[in-house]
Amino acid sequence: MTRRLFLAVALLATVCMFTSTGHTADRPTINVGKTFIASSLDPGEGSVGWALTTHGVSENLYSVDRQGKLVPNLAQSVTTVDDHTFRVDLASGRRFSDGSPVNAKAVANALVRTNELNGRARATAGKMTAKAIDDLTVEIKTEKAVPLPTALLAEWAMVIYKAEGDEFVFTGPYRVKKVGPGEAMTLEPNRHYADADERPNIRLRKFSDPQTLALALEAGELDIAFGLPVEALSRIKARDDVVVKSFQVAYQYMMFINTERPLLGDPAVRRAVDRAVDRRQLAHAVNGGTPATGAYSSYFPFALREPRPFDPDMAKALLEKAGWKNGSDGVRERGGQRLSLVLYAYPQRPDLLTFQPVIKSMLAKVGIDVETRVTENIAALGKSGDFDLALWATNTAPSGEPSYFLNAFLRQGTGYNHSRYKSERFGAVVDRMTTTGDPAERAKLASDAHAVLFEDVPVSFLLTPDWHVGLSKRLSGYEPWGSDYYIIRPDLRVTE
Amino acid sequence: MVHLSRHVLQASLMLWGVSIFAFAIIHAMPADPVLITLVEMNIPVTPENEAVLRTEWGLDRPLIEQYGAWLWRFVGGDWGRSFRTDLPILSEFLQRLPYSATIGLGGLGIAAILALPLGFAAACRPGGTVDYLSRALSIGGQVIPAFWLGLVLLWLLAVELRLIRPFFGGAAEQLLLPTLLVGFYSIGSLGRVFRNELLAITVQPFFRTALAKGLTPETALRRHALRHALFGYVAALTPECAWVVGGTAIVEIVFAVPGISLFLVESIAARDYFVLQAYVMVVAVWMVLIHGLSLILRALLDPRTRR
Repeated sequence: MTRRLFLAVALLATVCMFTSTGHTADRPTINVGKTFIASSLDPGEGSVGWALTTHGVSENLYSVDRQGKLVPNLAQSVTTVDDHTFRVDLASGRRFSDGSPVNAKAVANALVRTNELNGRARATAGKMTAKAIDDLTVEIKTEKAVPLPTALLAEWAMVIYKAEGDEFVFTGPYRVKKVGPGEAMTLEPNRHYADADERPNIRLRKFSDPQTLALALEAGELDIAFGLPVEALSRIKARDDVVVKSFQVAYQYMMFINTERPLLGDPAVRRAVDRAVDRRQLAHAVNGGTPATGAYSSYFPFALREPRPFDPDMAKALLEKAGWKNGSDGVRERGGQRLSLVLYAYPQRPDLLTFQPVIKSMLAKVGIDVETRVTENIAALGKSGDFDLALWATNTAPSGEPSYFLNAFLRQGTGYNHSRYKSERFGAVVDRMTTTGDPAERAKLASDAHAVLFEDVPVSFLLTPDWHVGLSKRLSGYEPWGSDYYIIRPDLRVTE
Repeated sequence: MVHLSRHVLQASLMLWGVSIFAFAIIHAMPADPVLITLVEMNIPVTPENEAVLRTEWGLDRPLIEQYGAWLWRFVGGDWGRSFRTDLPILSEFLQRLPYSATIGLGGLGIAAILALPLGFAAACRPGGTVDYLSRALSIGGQVIPAFWLGLVLLWLLAVELRLIRPFFGGAAEQLLLPTLLVGFYSIGSLGRVFRNELLAITVQPFFRTALAKGLTPETALRRHALRHALFGYVAALTPECAWVVGGTAIVEIVFAVPGISLFLVESIAARDYFVLQAYVMVVAVWMVLIHGLSLILRALLDPRTRR
């Protein structure tokens, strides 16, 4: 009897083992190379929340979709109670990777814990408290007023997780199976996420040097190489065994114009600078990208559609009218003063260094002399105001809504207002954005704000860059989108 | 015992001096880690957000207080947290050290062993083929950029010939090329040092006597010059060992090896003060240890130095 029982248990165990590992054994494994990797699994630390979302491990209550729209993810809807309070109704049926339900208590715990531990999570809303009203409703109170709670919930720091001691459990399409060795991770599909059986396993590795990343792709060691260097593109595109896909990102290249500098105090000179820049040449110089239409990448629903005009004749006319006459060496002068400007860029964004001589040449054609300089710390330079023109790259809509950039970079008295721009008219338009959550109305207000900016020109929007992803043939169905936020996604499939 | 105590005291004073110097130099770097982090994280640079990070990192306190607090914690084994990754620095170093040590010490070990026969063969026939080869290796190690040679090796062995999987192969496969590359950059110079040490002995009267007794140059070198030459060779190895920890940044970047040097390079860009200070101290302690080890080895090889 004992022997029979033992045999039955052994048989059952064998069947269970085969049924539970059968899919995993057949499941393909793909190798992904990126220039960054999560340094830990704790969203309370640094930028871990963002990195884990890029790895397909963590998710937010709201996210930004392929068209640049804010859409509910783990949440179903948000109701504003007052400026400092809102309620989130959670989507039903969502689960953590350990199979437990995503409920109000878990969400409240995650948001409060991250807010307490991670200073980056307090940037928009200040201190935050949250409590479960019922199983699927969370009430959140914030120290600062939050006009658009959905955007706050889409911020990279606000991922949802369960912290159990040193263990962290997330909700994304993948779960971390193993960390390391080195800057590497092994991921497997989260069995409690829809269509888990259709997704491959993933080995993830960090590459600090983009050239090495390109070589790893060419060596057949990578299925996804995210962030290929421009200079390797033609070589890689010539290969039969890989595919390169380029996509527009939410980052924008721009040039801040310091409105407090004596030569640039006159809006006519700033407008001339803006008109003298040929954005198509800038795109050519960095082997890709789209001339900017305004502050936002054109795939966002609130982005403008018309590229900024290139009109050197208009630029010359503006300068003439402002009293700047051609000098003997081609540089314009007024009252013995030369129209000579200093243009800064920073090495952390190599494309901006490439822009410097191109812009210098363009502005020389309308009689503006430019001296180019490089600074290691563009933020400190911006804060000091010791520049005429400063090239800058930033994600202008990180949480899928238009007011972030306008508020943070161009409002009087805010930290990133490097142009020292002061405009009551602009401030009034942006203020109105805080009173409406209607996307169409916010898009209209963003357009109105741009109209003021194009007149005053505290900033010249230059280019929406392209990023490049190398894919092996079996991943050729992968379509990159969403900048560096959504790289490993639920729709990742091996096609060959 | 008194001799050892004096050495320990000297080393401790030197390390203390290094800690002050490193702290002062690193804090004098022209950039603010708070601003760099805010920009990197896409967080508005507001006085409130700056204050949060400054307080969190202790940068709002007077410099002397910052130094004292850091040194006290450092000596006690708490090296602080990285501004960039928010992780404990000591555990980061401990995780990364095996990679750097493998490629650094492994490469140097290979070079140190291969340089002996190379230098010996070159000294046996000065001006011969092996002598020219050792000279070419030495010059090559000086003039060929490591990043260029690393990328060429990757391209040739991994992309064109597909002989090796340097990124997703086994640990040995991943560390082979970087280790060999580190070895390449030392083998020529060490070979030349050993050759020159041997040749310096060939002009000594006792060596000429050995030849006069009918020994071949090879046998005479092996029997009467080897031990003397090793003395100089060990002295030459000391500075080579010094850069092994933290001196392999280019190799680590090119081969995506998650070692200490790569961590250092990324930390410099972020002005990650605690990491940089810890790195300087680790290198200083390493150099003190290597210097001590070198003294012991030399004492073993030459009894005259024991006093």
